[in-house]
This record gives sequence, C-alpha cells and structure tokens, in this order.
Amino acid sequence: MRKCRFSLDLEHEEKWLTEMAKQGLSLSRKTVFGYEFWQIPPQDTVIRIDYRHFNRPADFEDYRMLFKDSGWEHIAGTESSGTQYFKKTDKEGETQIFSDTASKAARYRRLSSLWLSLALAHLPILISLIYSGTVDPLAFLKPRLLYYTPGLWDMTGGSFLDAFLFETPFAIMRGVSWLLLPVLVCLCIACAARSEMQYRKIKHGRKGGF
Amino acid sequence: MKRDKNLPLTETVYYILLALLKPAHGYLIMEKVEELSDGQVRMAAGTLYGALETLLRRNFIKSVQTDDSRRKVYVITDEGKRILCLDCQRMSHMIHVTPREGLQ
Repeated sequence: MRKCRFSLDLEHEEKWLTEMAKQGLSLSRKTVFGYEFWQIPPQDTVIRIDYRHFNRPADFEDYRMLFKDSGWEHIAGTESSGTQYFKKTDKEGETQIFSDTASKAARYRRLSSLWLSLALAHLPILISLIYSGTVDPLAFLKPRLLYYTPGLWDMTGGSFLDAFLFETPFAIMRGVSWLLLPVLVCLCIACAARSEMQYRKIKHGRKGGF
Repeated sequence: MKRDKNLPLTETVYYILLALLKPAHGYLIMEKVEELSDGQVRMAAGTLYGALETLLRRNFIKSVQTDDSRRKVYVITDEGKRILCLDCQRMSHMIHVTPREGLQ
C-alpha cells in the first residue's frame, strides 16, 4: 500500500509511522513519492528516524549492526537516502535512539545542511541561466518581456490582438518555467531554516545541565 | 598554563574512551560504558554512533581490522589516551581540593 505525505518534522513523522504500525501497516520503503507499507498483523512497536548519509557500504553496514545489536531493526533507507527508519524489536529496551539532547538536536542540523546544500547546488544553475539570457529576471516586473514576437508592441488593432492572444499561452509557460528554479531554491532555503529552528529549539529549549 | 581546548570531556565521552582502552565494537562499548558507570550512563544507538564519529574525526579513537566484516572495532589512540589522562588529572584535582575547602 502506498501513502503520500510530506513532513519536515521528524518527530511528527515518527509518531505517524508508529500509529501506522499499530494499524498493521509496516513501512517497507520510502521514496520521493511517498511511503510504501507491508500489511502485517497490528504491532505495538515504535518507529524512529535518524538522518545520516554514508560514504562507504562498510560504514552503513556497521551503523545498521549497531542499531540491530541494541534492539532496532533497520526497515527503510539507503546509504544516500538520508532518512533512516528503525523499528523497535526489543520489547523491554529503550524507546529512544538518542539519549541526550545534543545528539537529538544534531539530527536536525544534518537535515538542515542537506537543504542548504541543495539550495546552493541550484544557485549556480540559476545564475548561469540569468547571465546567458535564457531567463530574464526583469520579466517578472515587466511581463512584456515574456513576449518574443518581433514588433508585437508596435502593432495595432486586430493584428495586435491576434498576435498577442496567440503568444500569450507561450508567454505564460515561459514565465512559469522561469519561476520554477527560483521557487525551488527558495523552498530549499525555507526547509533549511525550518530544520535549523528545530535544531535550536531542541538544543536550547530542554534541560541539558548548565 | 593554557588548558587543552578539548577539556573537559563529557561524562559519556570519558567513559567511551575509558572503555576503548581495549578494542570493542559499538554494542560492546554501550555495555561497557553502562557497566563502568554503575548503570548511570546508558547510551542509545544514535547517540553512540554520533559520538564515535566525532571521536574518529578528532583522532581520539581509530578503527582496527578484525574478522567481523559487519561490525567495526574501535580502539583508543595515543592522542585519545593523552586527553583521557588530562581529564582524569583535572577531576582528581577537583576531588583533592573539595574536602580541603571544608566539604565532607
């Protein structure tokens, strides 16, 4: 079974997946399009999410073994997926995968730097599109620039209306496609900021000694 | 004298380094830390993994070759031993001066 959902808050996602497991839906795979579940008998378990990338398969294996040894089954995630999903297998054991505030918060810091690097990776593309003239940022102030027909604005009457209406759908598509990349970059920056805020909230908001 | 910038170590880091005077893999470290601290310090998997990563980066521990291809085995380095000794001296000093100031 597939379900779609987007959440920036890992704790909400953990709660939702734990609830799903209680209803008999166990996460089997997570892709950019959503979550895939196995149908299983309802389980009273806990799902936890870590956020990590791995450079070498051996590191990934070692990481999963550490969790396995301490009562957590790795159910979804790959070396490069970032989000790593764990299901509690040990009835008696810990219900948390982090035992101090600093490491709990650090998970959001890693998430935040991913979003930021995504934004930074797209910036050079955006800049080169603007410099090469493929995208004209002025067009968002002067929509006239979205029309390419030579001499369009000097035409009058019926011939103007014909040419204008003919090109309008193309101009709109041009505008929308030019907007895609800047919107994407802004979204990435917003996600980075949100994760960074969660990092700070956890780091400073809860007890952690002096 | 200027103090080493890595001092003081956190309780968890201190116990991890102490546990790694003998080579051990992740879960063994968790058990050893719990035992050494009389059950006071219980680390969760995600926290331990992050701590090991930091200690590796600072060259306080290193991984060693073993027969177990799935689990990495770590051991303390000379640099790690040095910092552990420094922190131990720091705490010995605190323990030494405390009764002298009148606290029993």
